[in-house]
Amino acid sequence: MKRFWLGLILFLCFASSEIVRSVYAQESPDGKSVMNEMLTAYYYSRQDAKSEVFMRIVNRQGQTRERRLILLRLDETDGGKQSYYIYFHEPPDVQGMSFLVLKHPGRDDDRWLYLPSIDLVKRIATSDKRTSFAGSDFTYEDVSGRDLDEDDHELLDEESLGERSTFVVKSTPKRFGEVEFSSRKFWIDKATHLPLKVEHYDLKGMLYKVYETSAIQTFQDTPTITKAVMKDLGSGHETEITIKTISYDVGITSDLFQERLLRRPPTKWIR
Amino acid sequence: MKFEHVTEFVLKHPKSMIGLVLILTLFFGMQFPKIAVDTDPKHMLPAASPVRQYNDQVERDFALHPDVIVLGMVNPDGIFNPQSLKRLKDLTSAIREIPGVISRDVDSLTTVDNVISLKGELVVKPGLNDIPQSDSELATLRQTLLDNPLFVNRFVSADSKAAALYIPIEPVANGKKIADKIRSLLPQDVGKDQFYLAGDPVARDTFGTEMFRQMALFSPIAGLVMCVALWLMFRNVTVVVANMAVAMVSIIWSMGGLIGLGFPVHIMSSMSPVFLMAIATDAVHIFNEFVFRLKETGDKRRAILETMKVVGPPVFYSDVTTAVGFAALATGAIIPVKIFGLVIGFGTLVILLMSYTLVPAILMLIPEKHLSNMAETSAKKQGESASRLSRLGTFCVEKTKPILLAGFLLFAVAVAGLSQIRVNNNMVHWFKRASVVRTADRVMNEYLGGTSTAYVVVQAEEDGAIRAPAMLRHIEGLQRELEKDPLVGKTFSIADYVKRVNRVLHDNNPAFDRIPDSGREVGQYLFLLESAAKPRHLDNVIDFSLKTANIIIQLKSWDAGVMEHVIRRTNAFLGSHPLPQDAQVKTAGIAYFNTVWSHEVLWGMLTSFLWGLVLVLILLVFETRSFLWGFVSFLPLLFTITLIYGAVGLMGKDFDMPVAVLSTLSLGMAIDFAIHFVGRFQQRYREYPNLKETLIWTVSRPGKGIFLNAILFALGFSVMGFSALTPYVTVGILMAAIMILSSVTSVIYLPALIQLWHRKLIKGGVNQ
Repeated sequence: MKRFWLGLILFLCFASSEIVRSVYAQESPDGKSVMNEMLTAYYYSRQDAKSEVFMRIVNRQGQTRERRLILLRLDETDGGKQSYYIYFHEPPDVQGMSFLVLKHPGRDDDRWLYLPSIDLVKRIATSDKRTSFAGSDFTYEDVSGRDLDEDDHELLDEESLGERSTFVVKSTPKRFGEVEFSSRKFWIDKATHLPLKVEHYDLKGMLYKVYETSAIQTFQDTPTITKAVMKDLGSGHETEITIKTISYDVGITSDLFQERLLRRPPTKWIR
Repeated sequence: MKFEHVTEFVLKHPKSMIGLVLILTLFFGMQFPKIAVDTDPKHMLPAASPVRQYNDQVERDFALHPDVIVLGMVNPDGIFNPQSLKRLKDLTSAIREIPGVISRDVDSLTTVDNVISLKGELVVKPGLNDIPQSDSELATLRQTLLDNPLFVNRFVSADSKAAALYIPIEPVANGKKIADKIRSLLPQDVGKDQFYLAGDPVARDTFGTEMFRQMALFSPIAGLVMCVALWLMFRNVTVVVANMAVAMVSIIWSMGGLIGLGFPVHIMSSMSPVFLMAIATDAVHIFNEFVFRLKETGDKRRAILETMKVVGPPVFYSDVTTAVGFAALATGAIIPVKIFGLVIGFGTLVILLMSYTLVPAILMLIPEKHLSNMAETSAKKQGESASRLSRLGTFCVEKTKPILLAGFLLFAVAVAGLSQIRVNNNMVHWFKRASVVRTADRVMNEYLGGTSTAYVVVQAEEDGAIRAPAMLRHIEGLQRELEKDPLVGKTFSIADYVKRVNRVLHDNNPAFDRIPDSGREVGQYLFLLESAAKPRHLDNVIDFSLKTANIIIQLKSWDAGVMEHVIRRTNAFLGSHPLPQDAQVKTAGIAYFNTVWSHEVLWGMLTSFLWGLVLVLILLVFETRSFLWGFVSFLPLLFTITLIYGAVGLMGKDFDMPVAVLSTLSLGMAIDFAIHFVGRFQQRYREYPNLKETLIWTVSRPGKGIFLNAILFALGFSVMGFSALTPYVTVGILMAAIMILSSVTSVIYLPALIQLWHRKLIKGGVNQ
């Protein structure tokens, strides 16, 4: 009988250690969950947001192009559907131009464009989310997030980057050759879950594009990237993106994201 | 004279002399492993030249890749079938993975976005994405692609029988290696699909590789041919060894020096070994006289001393004129030609030095029994050839007038030929017509816009000036004007992009296939283009500040003349339609580059040539101590060169770089014969003052040396006539022709001229 009890105790000890181990494993997350947290923190922060964005594109010769735009975002669910309204103020030529993007994870976005000079609203069908966003070095995907399930994510390491400690995650597209990179390497801040640095490797495995966060500020208790740079090592181009102002949960509603409103944008939202 | 002391010293220490030369040669030989090659035509001009700097600036400003390989796929039944399209797609992805290829900028139907209007929507996707299978889908795809003027004749031919991939490579990559890699990726047995590789880096680096192979092959063959010829002439191993040793020493010293100083080997200097081998045959005059003297004196040492005494001065002067003739090349602006001139100039001086040191030292070491053999064999042959040559001498002296008249007539014909000369340069024509490189270029130019590229850059004064509709219409007008030239296969500019957007936004309505009327509209279209296209495509045709625009022109020929037409047409058009806002136009690109340096070659060579002529004349006057004698010695050379270039003009052969360079370098070499002839005639005449007899003697004795020298020379060069590269063929055949002709004109016309002007000549010049 003694033996039985001993056996039971031993068994329980082993079993509990298994439980402890599995609990511990949850605390040291895998690549996919780190990436998911990043996507939520970066692209789905709060319910909605209105930001004034300034972009500076510099080419190899040091010539610059500048854009000032208002970006409105409304999330349906975290990691799910999202709507974007983008209204350009500068350069003067494009004042009044606007884009409407309805993002559906798992399938192509719906995009519309408004050209004031010929008063034309046009639907844009593009299968390629990797096209440049407003002529910058950021792609649409960089601005609005890439689907979590497009890539395999692997937690490589934990590193400190400056004063922040980060998870290092390598994301590899599931279908090689579909996009221009073979893999990306993220440094994700443990505290804010925001990306601090992203390295893009081309199909031959060479580093060709580097993203770096240069400022994070907290608005309405929400850590927000307010300055970042994307450098294209091949072309020598780089784009600096600055969030001049941002306010969260301002009460944006879904009826704002309508094709017909592109022609007559509500002044309240675009100022 | 001091020369004799040199010879005496050498004859006392022949072995240490040879040892010293060997040590020095070893030192120069050790430089060879450092060898580097350069076949980039852009390096023809110095890095600081304005044309090169502007070209670099244009490439930088418009993010253009300097080195682009073009892969063409041709199917006579059309490429719009599932198999061919799949091959195109697979090839594009495979090529992007080759190291050295700038992957993201590989442009083909499958990587370049096509913006189209479909059921009211704006569709942005690669020209060729999913491969259609049904005939109707294929027909739609074909129509869609051919509808876009930015694609036609660039990525797909107007008749849809050909498609092209543009493969930029890193500046440090080797075009031939990448081309070979691409060839290994090409599918085999693929029905009617044919693949062709063209473009400047392929031609250039294939040429570079081929250059080495050809020279590695032809230098030894030329050497071997000369050895055999020398053996047949002298029947003595030592003579053969001595002559080849002189050649080798000068080749190793000059090439080793070039490499050791860190210069790359260009197309021109790669030919140095053959040239130096040929120039080294000047030593034949020493052997020729040595054999005569040996027979007369029977004493080796005395024979050498006497030989050097009589042959030394003409050898000295002929080598110095050769060196000067080559060094004259250094006065030009073309770097490879400059270097070549200096290398051969130096090599010739080495040959001269060896003629005074190594040659007597080796002759001194010939065993006595070989010498008697040599004297005997030559004595046997001497009889026949001497009598033939003295008959020739008699003929020249007696038929002075008919000979001169015939020469005058030939000269007149040649001058007429000179006026027919067509200056041109075409790098692809450096390959033979049936070669892979040239075939590919020909086929691709048949189907597509053209393998050679030029840039016409419009530079305005103010930022944003290019987006003005008036400016864009001007650019468009200029394009249409340039396209009237049948060899301009394709032009594209920012105007084409703007027109395309205008049309697509208006549901593909052809009425909107034009430049819009307001600058704001253009501005918004440009903004769209910046967002849709890969940034580089737009960067290629316009700068960030919209101040400069680039019109890219594809040419179907590498002829320098085609670009000259383009420039002339541009200037004529802008003369009658000046650009708004004082905008200026400048040209760049590889086609323009080739035009510039072929001009530079022509004028550079012409000035070098004239300098060479003057220098040679001065040297002749100095050597003969008489203007008239100098002039008489000069005439056969002038006659020879006029005849050769008259023939080039009459045959319709392009006056290209190899031919141009030859004009200058033939000077210093072809004059040797006259120097030997006149020098020996004067020596002899001082001893036996009988004009006719002396002339006949000169024709038969030094004349023999002259002919032997010329034959050796011609034999050495003629092997290059079998080369696979046309510049070598040209140089080989022309040099052989120049040497033979020059020896003949010297031996025939000098007696005639001396006979004609003997009163003035003999009074003034001989009795120094």
